[in-house]
Amino acid sequence: MRLIARYAKELEDTFEIITVYEDETQREVVSKEHPHIKTLAKKHPAAIWFERKMHDDFGIIIEDAFDKRPLVHQERFPRDVHPLRKDFDKDTLQEAEYLPYKYEAINGDGVFQVAVGPIHAGIIEPGHFQFSQAGEEMLHLEVRHFYKNRGIEKMLEGKTLTEAKPIIERISGNESIAYQICWRDIYLQAAGQELPMALRKRHAFLLELERIIHHLTDLGFIPNDAGFGAALAYGSKLAEDARRKMQEFTGHRFGFGSIDFTNHFIDTASAKEWLRELENSIAFFEDWIMDIPSLWDRFDTTGALALQKAVKYDTVGVVARASGLSVDRRINDFYLQHGFVMASEVSGDVGARFKVRLAEVKNSLGMMEHFLEEDDTTLEIGNITDGSYTSFTESSIGELFMAIDIKDGLIERFFVRDPSFINWQALHIMMHSDIIADFPLINKSCDLSYAGNDL
Amino acid sequence: MIKFWNKRIKYGTLTENENLDAELAAIKKEIKSSVKKKFAGSLAIRMVDSGSCNACEAECNALANPYYDLERLGIHFVASPRHADVMLLSGIMTFNMTPHVKDAYEQIPEPKWVISIGDCPVMTAPFEKTYAINAPAENHLPITHHIAGCPPSPLEIMQGLLEFLRKI
Repeated sequence: MRLIARYAKELEDTFEIITVYEDETQREVVSKEHPHIKTLAKKHPAAIWFERKMHDDFGIIIEDAFDKRPLVHQERFPRDVHPLRKDFDKDTLQEAEYLPYKYEAINGDGVFQVAVGPIHAGIIEPGHFQFSQAGEEMLHLEVRHFYKNRGIEKMLEGKTLTEAKPIIERISGNESIAYQICWRDIYLQAAGQELPMALRKRHAFLLELERIIHHLTDLGFIPNDAGFGAALAYGSKLAEDARRKMQEFTGHRFGFGSIDFTNHFIDTASAKEWLRELENSIAFFEDWIMDIPSLWDRFDTTGALALQKAVKYDTVGVVARASGLSVDRRINDFYLQHGFVMASEVSGDVGARFKVRLAEVKNSLGMMEHFLEEDDTTLEIGNITDGSYTSFTESSIGELFMAIDIKDGLIERFFVRDPSFINWQALHIMMHSDIIADFPLINKSCDLSYAGNDL
Repeated sequence: MIKFWNKRIKYGTLTENENLDAELAAIKKEIKSSVKKKFAGSLAIRMVDSGSCNACEAECNALANPYYDLERLGIHFVASPRHADVMLLSGIMTFNMTPHVKDAYEQIPEPKWVISIGDCPVMTAPFEKTYAINAPAENHLPITHHIAGCPPSPLEIMQGLLEFLRKI
């Protein structure tokens, strides 16, 4: 049973712990005076971040956890402050005394530690990686994040769904459309309305456009991290073309604010022409890149994630599909009718993730052609009803899960689990047979979000 | 590989073939000459993300694509603050990133400048102040210039860099 998320919410006198599995949702209630729960990490290793986060956010104690270190709260964070509790209302914090974080480290003769980050050498987001090295070989890696924690969950409390929208679409810039579609589904559930097919197709079109922009960027950056710069020039050119199309279709290069209930005009003829052009460019790219032995020498067998481990760590998205897992939120009638074919590889290495991205770009282009239509349907949204709502979307990284509780028309609790939150926890498994120089390549092949993870 | 070079020769230079407006051409010319005058031909930028959504980073990466090709103007992004003239600061300064951003700033040799990019560092993005946010960035660092936008497009970033070069 795949673990999707585990989070807490505060009720009147109790905390409710919600554990979402693929097939069922379990709820557990603990008292506020004595908030103790048992860990799930023995069965689902990826549960540990959820539980450590729960402790930081609410002060819930995980009795038998093997790892009780803080997760979101860093060295200078005030002790015994649990900001997601309703009685916490400060909007500034005083820096506390520096308390060192104890990294997971392997010790022994000649074994040394390499600390990388939080600020990295390229133009990328901040996060920390702590390596235990025996010469060039990586013995262990600890991923440590939450430098970018903006307190999004608390920020959204007390807002209406409409007020929350501009913030939700900016949680992770690369996945903006996916976040907006999760928001849309929750809004529609709360209003008890169905989305007209024309709007659904428009939104699906934009989601696939976002996916190909993200994948094209990676198809350039992954070879670049193996020292093959020409692919980056080619990939970034195609990505820029696609981003300009996003600007043309939505008025914004990242599609911020584009998922609404109005159908805007898309010039289908020129869009189709562009899709076909891109198809040709991709065919050329594939023919070229597959035939470079020195590149595939770096890609093949590097950063392998075995199927058993991919299952054990409950991975999602490109990472899971490259290891042979069938996890994709697009496996449904709507997508299948429009030509969706799930990309899949079995070797779980950098090469497999690269090929999955390539296959997904090609499949998305086909689907986008089917999604295109001229239609000016709009939808009026009625009043919303209070309740607990959840939704899923397949973002360019993987399965995105969002849960919103609405009370008196306002958000009572906002929770989102970015696909990165799960996949980051499996990253260290991929390092065991590789050298530290392969790390940037492996990391890029997964291309996970820091902002969506940290919230 | 031979196919690639054939295509490459047939294509020529994309940067010039693209129908870029005269404005971009003018900006590029002006940036090139002021970089030459003020920074002896090379302006080194250290990009630091203090809590963005990654869109500003994506746009800065786009500056290196064949359409914009910023590096040929003598402006390049460097790996260490110790190699930099300018810190390009994106994102809403978070509580957890504040000490690291200050560290990075201290590592830049004098003379040094900070350019903030995007609506986040000046708190004009939709994000509201929470316990985890220390923005605006000007409370922590001396900001010389600000490039507005959510996120600013590559062209706007180039314009912003030009305005900065005029300012100093």
